[in-house]
Amino acid sequence: MTAAAKPAGAGPVLRVAGLDVDIRLPRSVVHAVQGVSLEASRGETVGIVGESGCGKSTLGLALAGLLPPEAAARGSIKLGDRELVGLRERQLRPVRGTEVGIVFQDPMTSLNPTKRIGAQVGEALRLQRGASKAAALEAAADMLDRVGLPRPREQLGRFPHELSGGMRQRAVIAAALICEPAVLVADEPTTALDVTTQAQILELFDRLSDELGMATLLITHDMGVVAGHADRVFVMYAGREAESGKTETIFGSPRHRYTGALLGSVLRMETPRRSRLGTIPGRPPDLTALAAGCPFAPRCTAASDECAAAPPAATADGDHHWSCLHPLGSEEPGLVPEAHDEFR
Amino acid sequence: MSLENVTVLGAEETAGADTAQSAGRLALAAFTRNRLAAAGLVVIVALLLFSFAGPLLYHTDQIHTRLALETMPPGTGRPLGTDSVGYDELGRLMAGGQTTLEVAFGAAVVAVILGVLWGAVAGYVGGFVDGLMMRIVDALLAIPAILLLLFLATVFRPSVPMLIIVVGVTAWLVPARLIRAEALSLRGREYVLAAKTMGVRGPTIIFRHIITNSIGTIMVNATFQIADAILVVAALSFLGLGIAPPATNWGAMLSDGLNYTYSGYWWLTYPPGIAIVLTVLAFNVVGDGLRDAFGLDSGHG
Amino acid sequence: MTRFLLRRGAQAIVVLLLVSVIVFCLLHLLPGGPARAILGVHATPTNVAAFNRANGLDSPVPVQYWHWLTGVLSGNLGFSYVQNESVAALLGQRLPKTAFLAGVSVVLAVLIAVPVGFYQAVRRQRVGDYVITTVTLVLYSTPAFWVAIILIDVLAVRLHVVPAEAPQGSFSAVLGDPSALVLPVLTITLVTVAAFSRYTRSSVLDELAQDYVRMARSKGAGNRVILFGHVLRNAAGPVVTLLGLSLPFIVSGTLITEYVFNYPGIGLLAFNAATTQDYPVMLGVVIVVAAATVVGSLLADLTHAVLDPRVRTAAGIR
Repeated sequence: MTAAAKPAGAGPVLRVAGLDVDIRLPRSVVHAVQGVSLEASRGETVGIVGESGCGKSTLGLALAGLLPPEAAARGSIKLGDRELVGLRERQLRPVRGTEVGIVFQDPMTSLNPTKRIGAQVGEALRLQRGASKAAALEAAADMLDRVGLPRPREQLGRFPHELSGGMRQRAVIAAALICEPAVLVADEPTTALDVTTQAQILELFDRLSDELGMATLLITHDMGVVAGHADRVFVMYAGREAESGKTETIFGSPRHRYTGALLGSVLRMETPRRSRLGTIPGRPPDLTALAAGCPFAPRCTAASDECAAAPPAATADGDHHWSCLHPLGSEEPGLVPEAHDEFR
Repeated sequence: MSLENVTVLGAEETAGADTAQSAGRLALAAFTRNRLAAAGLVVIVALLLFSFAGPLLYHTDQIHTRLALETMPPGTGRPLGTDSVGYDELGRLMAGGQTTLEVAFGAAVVAVILGVLWGAVAGYVGGFVDGLMMRIVDALLAIPAILLLLFLATVFRPSVPMLIIVVGVTAWLVPARLIRAEALSLRGREYVLAAKTMGVRGPTIIFRHIITNSIGTIMVNATFQIADAILVVAALSFLGLGIAPPATNWGAMLSDGLNYTYSGYWWLTYPPGIAIVLTVLAFNVVGDGLRDAFGLDSGHG
Repeated sequence: MTRFLLRRGAQAIVVLLLVSVIVFCLLHLLPGGPARAILGVHATPTNVAAFNRANGLDSPVPVQYWHWLTGVLSGNLGFSYVQNESVAALLGQRLPKTAFLAGVSVVLAVLIAVPVGFYQAVRRQRVGDYVITTVTLVLYSTPAFWVAIILIDVLAVRLHVVPAEAPQGSFSAVLGDPSALVLPVLTITLVTVAAFSRYTRSSVLDELAQDYVRMARSKGAGNRVILFGHVLRNAAGPVVTLLGLSLPFIVSGTLITEYVFNYPGIGLLAFNAATTQDYPVMLGVVIVVAAATVVGSLLADLTHAVLDPRVRTAAGIR
């Protein structure tokens, strides 16, 4: 295992272009992801935010090559030089764990309760690199140490239920990273943990992202997580990109109405007492029946007829993109004050 | 081989209608979504109508034997022929159905009531009392029900109420275990703790919180109980411990008919046999559907 | 693990004691008291009094229980006046035969049901799964005695492949006539497989839906690794426990099978005892079978604990 930090940059290691993912259900089709394009470079953390049901988890699964058989993907997902879309199960297998790793929300259920930690952490090495049991355990101990697990050698022989939540999640992260993939997808990695542990795990992601020089995709519904730990933000709504850009830009000058609404619903220190917490009225749209036009229009206070007529084209300002016909900062007052110094 | 056949999608990703929370609506969902369960329900209703409403439309004498007409094959005026003592077989099937279904439902009710009360109290109270109550259940479970039934059936003269009690008394152990597990997990829930803090008394908590929140498990188990009871009564009848004639049940009809297997009197075995299989199958399928709809653990007892 | 063993062992002993109490109560709840039950309806009051004195039935109940229990533990299960033999002797002749019948059938059932259940889970909702599910559901809903008789009708009477009646005589005589064992074993096996394959299927499906399977796939695991390296062990645990819990069900299936095939085991013994009101024999069978069930259940739980470490630490299992 190399300890030297890998160089960041040198072109994006993950390139997604025009990704559509449809999921075939017995009686309908869910258009979980529509026309998503994003990039991530080594050492960079991209936060993918959105409400439950916006398609971010499906996007994560697609990036990790784990879409179920009822899912059909179109477009392009490139890991380095390798195109993932269109690959069959047998072709995807060597990619998993070696070029892209994934961490799920609940560490308790991500680990097999009847197998010891050491075996599970080292599993990818044995499967993908043909490592012997002993070598895999050695590497596992090393990795557990790197993820900050105390007394790693002792933990090797333990079972998952003997570890605390935070330790389990670290073990899961170790298992996902043991082959040092270039990309890590983390789907709500801290949602099942308590606040203190959350902070620790997020810091761990920061550190590993630098040390291993990997691109991290942090999928979450929590704007606070994104604010503190993502270099760039990708806001999703109803399967589509709403807005994307650098974190400071998104938080400092959000343009899409949805982003503004999300930020407005976050409780902050200086939110005046006795003020109402901003909420977004209505519910996310039904992804089986795509509406023409902007998916957020039914819930948007600034929506006009044109919004519902056709999907708004993307506007760009440098690497800040948004798809909104009546973006914030234009004639009407925004839902949210512009400056968010505390997020910087 | 394809393992990826199993869909592992978050609930969020499959947009659709809200799932209603109330047990009644969940139960209904079992039948609207699951065609097999719906078919089972239809079969059950049909057999209930057949057994209880049938005799109103198709009158036969099920009390007096007419040996002159014994074992006649199906023909005009007797759609299913006659049995060994001259009873009309179709009418007998209806009468047998009444008894079978009465005993099965009755036994299931007895079993579920006893079991739920025992299990809820054990699980809620916990500790030593729970331990003792559950050891008693284990002990009774270890004693083979069929032997107990043999024993009870020789001591007490079989009648419909007797059968209901006897079968119910040997069947309550499984729901007791199930409800005790539910009670154990429910008593740690916040609303139960809140109720306790507010001073709500034990029995009220048990009824209003624990039992009502286990209603899914109870319904599923009750359905399977009915299915099992039918088979148990059939086995008892086969062993000669059923109800005395002229009363009858499908199990007894089947056993009687099997005496004539080699005489080729198929109308004496297949009608009651198929009736039993259909009914038990229907209840099992409905039970499965309910269990899926309630999202319960797939442990049958 | 040792603590688990001790705890479950202690529970098993308590259960056995409770069984003995229940059986003792049954013995004494018989109409007319145990004396009349054992001596029969024609017993005169003098006989009854003499019997009571001889058997210590005029002592206080707890004392009687103690005598009875110590008797049972030292092998004295009473005497059958109907068959004029000690209960223990009768059981000794017949128990091995039933144990053999039930044992072989259950082993066969598990060997069939587990792979079938796996196959069904993996081929979920494809044709193979539907066919097997339908067959097992129908089998599961059919009374065991009908299954037995259909088997006799088809295999013995029409096709003359195997004899219709089970082998008679001593244990070695029974073992020496394997073709006659086919139908009884087949009956119990079929009925048990029907229940078990459904359960195995659900258990495997439950495991396949777990996150750790997804996690294993994300590390590059293929189907074989997932099934045999992960799911098998996890799905086997609940099935083993079910096996322990199913012993009463298997017992009743065995009794009916013995009755239909005239197999000289303890099931048939119990049935004949019931019809002749030979209570000591009936209760002797109850004790033996109950004890076997408790021990079997204990073994099943221990196996489950070996397979699944969580079970070892769970407080208050069952």
